[in-house]
Amino acid sequence: MAKFHPSLDLLTEYVAGILPLAQSACVSAHLNYCPQCQQQTARLQDLGAVLFDSMTPVPVGDAMLDAVLARLDEEPPLSYRRVDDLSLGRTPALLQRLMRGDFSELTWKKVTSSLRISYLKTGDPSYEFALYHIKAGGKIPEHNHRGSEMTLVLQGGFSDAAGSYHEGDFIYREASDIHAPTALQSEDCICLAVLDGPLKFTGWKYRWMNPFLQLQAG
Amino acid sequence: MEEQEKDATSGWQGPTGRRTDEWSECLTLIAANEDRAAFTRLFRHFAPLVKAFALSGSSLSATHADELVQEVMLKVWQKARGFDPEKAAASTWVYTIARNCRTDMFRRLQKFDTPLAADDFTPDQEPSEPFAMLQSRRSRDKIHALMGTLPPDQAQILAKVYMEGKSHAEAAAELDLPLGTVKSRVRLAIQKLQIQIDR
Repeated sequence: MAKFHPSLDLLTEYVAGILPLAQSACVSAHLNYCPQCQQQTARLQDLGAVLFDSMTPVPVGDAMLDAVLARLDEEPPLSYRRVDDLSLGRTPALLQRLMRGDFSELTWKKVTSSLRISYLKTGDPSYEFALYHIKAGGKIPEHNHRGSEMTLVLQGGFSDAAGSYHEGDFIYREASDIHAPTALQSEDCICLAVLDGPLKFTGWKYRWMNPFLQLQAG
Repeated sequence: MEEQEKDATSGWQGPTGRRTDEWSECLTLIAANEDRAAFTRLFRHFAPLVKAFALSGSSLSATHADELVQEVMLKVWQKARGFDPEKAAASTWVYTIARNCRTDMFRRLQKFDTPLAADDFTPDQEPSEPFAMLQSRRSRDKIHALMGTLPPDQAQILAKVYMEGKSHAEAAAELDLPLGTVKSRVRLAIQKLQIQIDR
């Protein structure tokens, strides 16, 4: 069960439909691991519905009703089969669609000996949406960000000075928070990271790489 | 409390958690027999709300707002069989469709080239806890009752965020307030409405 969650602010923006697409996908993926956040979003959605119900209606003419009625035959009600066997904790369907396959089938770009990155295309022009693969026990060199960073642990886990994170945990950091995450010893770690500014390595050993770490948004 | 009893959209009957309000019935009739009369009743109630939603914050032109109303109402018809009265109230369900259609329309207008539609952002499994509907029913009644106790500045921000679709940062810029003030007003409002959950 996830221990680290999106803030109430983020969930409110998510429910109101105003979170940028890439961030929204990350929050949505967290919900697959987290019944508490699902419950919280359900309540926030109730709030949206109450506000919606109490809006002052704006008259809609019969012409529009007729126009819609005329189109109903072309758009018959769809039939659904209920999906009941989806269990919490699998790779969220949303991510599977973006990945079009397994973690192993992705193109992984080697950054350091223990870090590989695979960029996924969401269509959001302002955010990079990428999977990080950190070898068991491997360390990402100390870095900060030129923007915000959302992280969701999909497999394994990692730790940094602020804590230790496992499958389903969600971490949000503002620009300029310096950290050096280390994957847990037990298994390789896969995370989803959503950034609006590129990583910036702060240690002397890796600083030369910074110009190569352009944001891969889109 | 009495006021809620009269509210047509919150007519809850029986201890089983089943809703038998008019709009749920309409959706059930559409799902069962493609009932156009039921759809017309739904349209007359919801289309004006969707239009108000589309026009609030004047982020959409009148033409796009009308387009959105048609799109939402057609989706209501098409998706009626996916409506489960045990899980959601009809108006929450319609609100969700309206919100998703509007988000998609914004992204279309900004020419996003994305494989994802707003519907895809629903978690794979909706809350399946027992009495989900009953809880939602109670929370809606409570929110409804407590809404009047919110200070105007908090109510205003909720409307901006939810109905006008403004991010906290946009709301702050528009009201000429620090971002922190906007965030704390939203949080305070949510606390007062008693919908915060321990996580």
